[in-house]
Amino acid sequence: MSMGDRTQISETGRSAAGLLRLAGRTSWPYLLLLPTVALLFAFTLYPLLQGLWMSLFRRGLVVVPQVPESIPVFVGFDNYLKLFADKDFVLSLVRTVLFVVVAVPVQLAASLGLALLLAPQTRFNAVMRTIVFFPSMISGLIIGVIWAWLFARNSGLVNYGLSLLGIPAVPWLEQDQLAQAAVVVAWVWGGAGFNMMILIAGLTAIPKDLYEAAAIDGTSRWRRFTRITLPLLEPSVVVVVVLGVIGAFQVYEIVVSLTTGGPGRATVFLVQNIYDTAFRKPNQAGLAAAQSGVLFVILMVLTILQLRVARRRG
Amino acid sequence: MTLLRSPGRLVAMVAVLILFVLPPLWLLLSALKPQAEIFQWPPSLWPEHITLENFQKTVSRANFGRYFLNSAIVSVSSALLSVAMSVAAGYALAKFRFKGDTIIFLLIMSAVMVPLQIVLIPVFLVLRDLGLLNTLWGLIIAPAATPSGVFLMRQYIVGIPDSLLEAARIDGTPEWRILLRIIVPLALPAIGTLLAFNLVWRWNDYLWPFLIINQQEQWTVQLAIANSIGRFSINWPRLLSMTVLSVLPMLVIFIALQKTLMNGLMAGASKE
Repeated sequence: MSMGDRTQISETGRSAAGLLRLAGRTSWPYLLLLPTVALLFAFTLYPLLQGLWMSLFRRGLVVVPQVPESIPVFVGFDNYLKLFADKDFVLSLVRTVLFVVVAVPVQLAASLGLALLLAPQTRFNAVMRTIVFFPSMISGLIIGVIWAWLFARNSGLVNYGLSLLGIPAVPWLEQDQLAQAAVVVAWVWGGAGFNMMILIAGLTAIPKDLYEAAAIDGTSRWRRFTRITLPLLEPSVVVVVVLGVIGAFQVYEIVVSLTTGGPGRATVFLVQNIYDTAFRKPNQAGLAAAQSGVLFVILMVLTILQLRVARRRG
Repeated sequence: MTLLRSPGRLVAMVAVLILFVLPPLWLLLSALKPQAEIFQWPPSLWPEHITLENFQKTVSRANFGRYFLNSAIVSVSSALLSVAMSVAAGYALAKFRFKGDTIIFLLIMSAVMVPLQIVLIPVFLVLRDLGLLNTLWGLIIAPAATPSGVFLMRQYIVGIPDSLLEAARIDGTPEWRILLRIIVPLALPAIGTLLAFNLVWRWNDYLWPFLIINQQEQWTVQLAIANSIGRFSINWPRLLSMTVLSVLPMLVIFIALQKTLMNGLMAGASKE
């Protein structure tokens, strides 16, 4: 039923008030959408286009007439070409990709283990799920603080635990690879409960009679897992992996409080590198925008992938 | 009890408990220790002298009350604004056919692909041009439009029968009253879920305040925490107590709305 039909039914008919109401009704949905559309335009869509446009210029973050280097100069795709010679960028990209490649599978394994352990609907499991989920309620910054305190060299619980086993103190946050491992641990810990819930939803959807039939046939537990659980859980696993990859490419907050990017630049990932380039280096805003452009393309491809998977899942 | 059915399961349960209870608990216990005991080696697992000294110092000397208040103002206002906007937009997309409706829907949803992380620089410039830098208004307004919120409300409102709206229209009820008197009361469960999510998101925001605020009186809790972490030295007694205090509101929300938050997630609210 269209708006016009409804107006004709209404008693006001075609009086002036009726016309006013008709105009009001036609514009009503637009009015309802205006605040959301305006804010998304101002803080998401326009900045995206503006950022891509900026990436074609050499310019300062803020244009200061007295500083010639800050005035925008069109350079085409120069910034993108420069990126590949920019050691800081290339290394942060490599680090980020490695982080994704390591952290996402580890998180999947952890979440899957938790899901299988805590899926049965008992009261005890409900409490356990709540506990495991809790880190999803706190910020990456706080997760970083929690683990920085655990990994502290001379007062941390982790090294205390190791000392009980006779292992000398490990400088967790002071060596490149150990610090990178610490970021992986904290990141996996922070997200495991969220992903566990996605996987539990998937597990609960698997029909019970499949397992019963397999049990009657005398199929081993391992075979039941690989032949029934895993294939039927695949859609949920894909969601966890894709969301994980998208999240891992943006890893930053957790690093702020855990390692502040150190030691050296060992845990500086893409987002921090973009920020440093734009706000810490003079007149490199174009270069930073180009880095954002690269990250955007990565995330866009992954999101489209996620949408296609979601559609296939129905 | 299934728990005791196999020893492997029991061991796994204990391991999970240790892994997920101990880290936050250790933080809390450490925050309750006097300064000397915090750094004592070997550490005391249970505080030998429980004290609130660190908390008192944080609140009195570090101006933490101010940051806490800022965070509270920002999260509550921004959450309310965001929910109001999402209800309005979700209602428009669920119950009206109009020129450009599909395009607007896709446009809103496509914003999911653009996290703040990749538009930091231009967003900073937009905030500056709008005069929102160094204002709490900036923190309230800038993150308020969320595609996931609009989507959640749209999905919920679609389920409200059209006949209710049509009956009201035949009676000559003005549109704004239909929204406030029919849609809002019927959508309350979804509104509650979205409000809870928004409170959590906004309380935990770090990147927005990081971008918008640099005057200390306007710091939020998360900014205060980030700023107390120096690259080479950390005031642990202060940081530990700040962290505990910053988590308390989330703990309260979580305990109160645990089911809503854990299941709302499944309803597609995702991580924003």
